[in-house]
Amino acid sequence: MSSSEPDAADLVCEIDNVQGMVDALTSVRWKRQQDAVVELSEHGVVLIVEESGCLQAKVYLKRELFGRYDFNAHGRPRFGISLSLFVDCLNTFSVPGKSSCIEIRYPGPDMQLLLKSIDSLDACIYAEIRTKIPETISWDYNFEPIGSTPVTFTAKSAALKEAIDDLEWPGSSIQINLQPDPPCVTFRGEGHGDLQIEFMYYVNTDLLLAFQCDVDVSFRYKYKFLKSTTSNIPSSVLKDNRGSKVTIGRGGMLKVQHLVSVARPSHSHLDPAGYPQPSRIAFIEFFVKPEEDDDS
Amino acid sequence: MKFKAYLTDHGVSLLERRFVPALDKLGRICHLYLTRGHTFFLHNLLNADGVQSIAQFRNEALFEDYRISSQNEDRIAFAIDLALFHRALRSSVAIYSEASGGGGSAPNRLLVKLVKKLPPNCTQPMPFLTFETRGFKSAVIQDVPISKPLSRVDVLELQQALDLAQEIPRTMVQVPDTSQLQSFVDRMKHVGDLLNVTIAKYGDLHVQLSTTLITLGAEFRRLAVVGEQADVPDSEQNLTAQSRTRRAVERGDAHTVQVSLKHFAKSLQCHLTKPDCAFYGIAGQDSCLTVIFQFFIPGSRQTDKSISLHCRIPVLDPGSN
Repeated sequence: MSSSEPDAADLVCEIDNVQGMVDALTSVRWKRQQDAVVELSEHGVVLIVEESGCLQAKVYLKRELFGRYDFNAHGRPRFGISLSLFVDCLNTFSVPGKSSCIEIRYPGPDMQLLLKSIDSLDACIYAEIRTKIPETISWDYNFEPIGSTPVTFTAKSAALKEAIDDLEWPGSSIQINLQPDPPCVTFRGEGHGDLQIEFMYYVNTDLLLAFQCDVDVSFRYKYKFLKSTTSNIPSSVLKDNRGSKVTIGRGGMLKVQHLVSVARPSHSHLDPAGYPQPSRIAFIEFFVKPEEDDDS
Repeated sequence: MKFKAYLTDHGVSLLERRFVPALDKLGRICHLYLTRGHTFFLHNLLNADGVQSIAQFRNEALFEDYRISSQNEDRIAFAIDLALFHRALRSSVAIYSEASGGGGSAPNRLLVKLVKKLPPNCTQPMPFLTFETRGFKSAVIQDVPISKPLSRVDVLELQQALDLAQEIPRTMVQVPDTSQLQSFVDRMKHVGDLLNVTIAKYGDLHVQLSTTLITLGAEFRRLAVVGEQADVPDSEQNLTAQSRTRRAVERGDAHTVQVSLKHFAKSLQCHLTKPDCAFYGIAGQDSCLTVIFQFFIPGSRQTDKSISLHCRIPVLDPGSN
């Protein structure tokens, strides 16, 4: 009775690195209480959070991250969930110093999200999280490049986070400027004082890993939204020394992308060079709308 | 009323490294109860709320030249601040081992005694527990303030509460890895604050937290059982943890109680005392959740009967039984 029709669920999947999933989801958790929309498809799981119609974040967990991924639904089922609860709950499954394997199933008999540890016969952790009818996503933004070539740069995640953290002091509104000659990214904050941080492409290749820009571009963003894009990057990403990619699209839409490793902690999933396989990466994307210019 | 004793090396290592820091996490203030045969550290025995903990040592395990006298059958009890106790003990030990390391000729001992002193700016003498250590060139005296010794009536009440707290549940299960349970429970604290604990006669420990938005639980199966046992019917082997528990409770093979998650987590702090085993059980009439820690004689599998520690976690709701 209890194990009747296991395949009736829209999705049954297994993941062997719970901590990686916790890291990925934590990076978009900028508030204590936050609701998210989860979308399931044959390609994987996408979790979307947004705020004030100005900030949106997406976590892509591709099906390749999962040891098992049985998708049996038509279309793309969506449900709402409390992100805070989901992350705190997942966290209880993660045992320090041990890789833990869990099964995720949706929907349960009462439309819950069901989680269950499956790596030990004699100890089982389980959870049922109530889901909600998803709120409509207020903007599904079609991100388009600003010109013929995308205006973008890639910086060390740690450096980008540090720069944005430092801009807290002037606060309020931050101007991001990319210029082709000399190739340079400038963050400028004006508020309680002025602070300008420059990433010069040729001066410090360690800092700026890539740079592409053929026109002078400058937009202003609200500090609190900008900060959310880097404030919760897991320390594992900062230690891995990965790059974060920042792109400015048409209308000044800012896109910030991070990569979070969901590789198994053991070495079995590493390629000979010691890098996690590309399929074991969760993609995180933030979109920030620019501030409207008062004088334009 | 007199108390004077020398702490042994074994006593120092038991108290300074293990018991006092662990008990301090349970609650800063506890009763220190001294009798002719035993020394007790007692938490919340005279008040009903909060985790009760009872740490009991045979005096030989801690002291030598133990002298106690009072008009109340040589029993003395008082409240003490464990953080201060730990600080005084730690610094006494530092001086003491420094001097011992120097190869001094005179035997170097750590004296603990009860004194009454007149503190500065006071007209009334106050009671202190004093630690006296002789270093190479100096002697250090540390006074830890304590409450007024308990009256004869209060000591009697404390002794009665202590006798009542010795009840052993009929079924107890052994939790193999308390640090793993602790890390799990610590993470659960973010999700909710009430915990249902079920203990089954066939060796299952099931902890579950349930709110309107989430149910989160863990089931530890096939643990060693002390006391009354039962077998799981084969038909229930493959059920979910929740259904198996529900059926066991209906059959009378299991009991469920609800406790505060914070209390449960606190009791797990006792693993800082480095016990060799921990057993969980539900006391008669579901009156409390009992945790008994067992200590072995070092290098053996034999119980060290000179030390005992157990906690009683108050039950918030008598449960469905």
